[in-house]
Amino acid sequence: MIIECCNLKKEYTADNTLVTAVDNVSLNVAAGEFLVILGHSGSGKTTLLSLIGGLTKPDSGEVLIDGVENWHQGDDALSDMRNSKIGFIFQFASLIPTLTALENILLPLTFGKTPRGGYQQALDILEMVGLPDKANAFPAQLSGGQQRRIAIARAFINQPDIILADEPTGDLDEETEHDILNIFKEYNRKGTTFVVVTHNIHLARTQLDARILEMRRGVLREKVPVAA
Amino acid sequence: MSVLARHLNILDHTLSSLWRRRLKNLSVLLVFAGVIFLIASFQLVTRALTETAEQALVAAPEITIQKMSAGRQVAVPLAYSEKLSGIFGIRRVVPRVWGYYFDEVSGANYTVLGLERDRMPASGQLDLVLDQGESPAPGRSGAALIGRSVQQGLERKGGSLLSLFRPDLSMVSFTVAGVFKEETDILTNDLIVLDIDDARDLFLVPEDVATDLCVYVANQREVPTIAKKIADALPDTRVVTRAQIRKTYQVVFGWRSGFASVCLLTALAAFVIFAWDKASGLSPEERREISILKLLGWETRDILAIRLWEGILVAGLAFVLGCTLAYIHVAFFGASLFRPVMVGWSVISPSLRLAPTVQLSQFLLIFCFSVLPYMAATVIPAWSCASVPAESALGGV
Repeated sequence: MIIECCNLKKEYTADNTLVTAVDNVSLNVAAGEFLVILGHSGSGKTTLLSLIGGLTKPDSGEVLIDGVENWHQGDDALSDMRNSKIGFIFQFASLIPTLTALENILLPLTFGKTPRGGYQQALDILEMVGLPDKANAFPAQLSGGQQRRIAIARAFINQPDIILADEPTGDLDEETEHDILNIFKEYNRKGTTFVVVTHNIHLARTQLDARILEMRRGVLREKVPVAA
Repeated sequence: MSVLARHLNILDHTLSSLWRRRLKNLSVLLVFAGVIFLIASFQLVTRALTETAEQALVAAPEITIQKMSAGRQVAVPLAYSEKLSGIFGIRRVVPRVWGYYFDEVSGANYTVLGLERDRMPASGQLDLVLDQGESPAPGRSGAALIGRSVQQGLERKGGSLLSLFRPDLSMVSFTVAGVFKEETDILTNDLIVLDIDDARDLFLVPEDVATDLCVYVANQREVPTIAKKIADALPDTRVVTRAQIRKTYQVVFGWRSGFASVCLLTALAAFVIFAWDKASGLSPEERREISILKLLGWETRDILAIRLWEGILVAGLAFVLGCTLAYIHVAFFGASLFRPVMVGWSVISPSLRLAPTVQLSQFLLIFCFSVLPYMAATVIPAWSCASVPAESALGGV
């Protein structure tokens, strides 16, 4: 298993009320699997994603990536793991506005273990996401869909084993959504593991052999697999 | 990735980051360079003045005796020198006649100094501080050695006549035998050196008195003891040692410089507080940017390293720029901005050319009081930047 979650629990206090965002969740994801976690807004799926990615420390339970527990390693080792093994795709484009599209894509390479000289690789990925002519454009010069594609390109630049995606096609038009999901399919076919949280069940239907789980009030449960 | 490659990456990212915010960074750099320029200028002027005074004092007598009456200096009787004959260690006592001469044409106040050079031990060294001509033979009447501004002010060149007026408005002329070197400007710039009898004649000073007495001592280490014995023997006199004159220069210039430096350090402190406030108060955009970077795998030390490099580049450039401008200001523009503060008397007297001497310790001191606080002000708050949680880049629950 590339991802192993065991009895994960995370609580927040909001407006003096204790909210259990993730409630005793156990989850195993095999290498090369495409996992979709469905859930409404506020169901805890984003928190679960940040627990898996080592962004948030669980109140109890543990997360193992490739057999290594996230919080048993130091802060630097955890950052290093995120850099080399995980690609994040957020709900919003999350680009740095003062950097060009190409510079944004190259950010994970700046301090990663990958040697410098990833420019050609970045240009190739730009072409793959359909924006070969936007290398020197700043985020403000791009549409929302284009920004999302740049963010996706950035997630793939380090050739990570795992992609953690949070509503990757939210607010996108159908054509862009289709293009992005095709990119996901292509990478999944090459062996990249995907954990995608979304409220869009149609997303799952576009992928081959996607496993679907449903999250409701912090609790994760199996849902009937949907054919591609 | 090697440490070198990692830091090259960091430097690369820092440079492009500085360039992207070039207007803001340039403003910070220029303000910072301006503060360093002011502090460095004061330091260089102070050093130049004290250094020049040091050089010029080398040939001064070890002890000077001045008669005081009602708190004012008055002429000292030559007979006083006989009262010193019993003090062991005194090599020679030589009288001097000096005073001020106001030249209405140039509007400058000159110092006229009459020396009995044939009795002065260091009179042979006078030629060493001359830029043009040579000192006249001791006792030769009618010859003058002048400072550079006297030469310019009276529009006289070496060898031409220098005409001055006695108190009764009768005129007396002197041949300019030599002009003092620029390096001794602080003491010789407004100076006219005459034979003592010519000075007596110019100021109408009686033959049995002098303005002061110069005491030359064989053993330098005995100077304080001898000065004390002279003060005991001549209670109505003021006994001034060369070390005291040197110290006076240092105190006067040091005090002025110190006062100005304190004012400027206040400006520097304000700048550092501003830098600290700017660096520690993270805007929502900055917090989001840092959280995205951390999410992409950047480590705390990477963010700190970027801040460090930013500080080094901005503060280092400002330091080099500020110090270079300060040197140019002092060496080529005569420290014109601070001249009235530092060389007060020269407002009346003719101009004084300053030759700054670069001392590593001075610049190290400026570095410690400017660059290091700035670095601390920008790097230390970076800890708070680095502590921004990566999860804040994510939205939702």
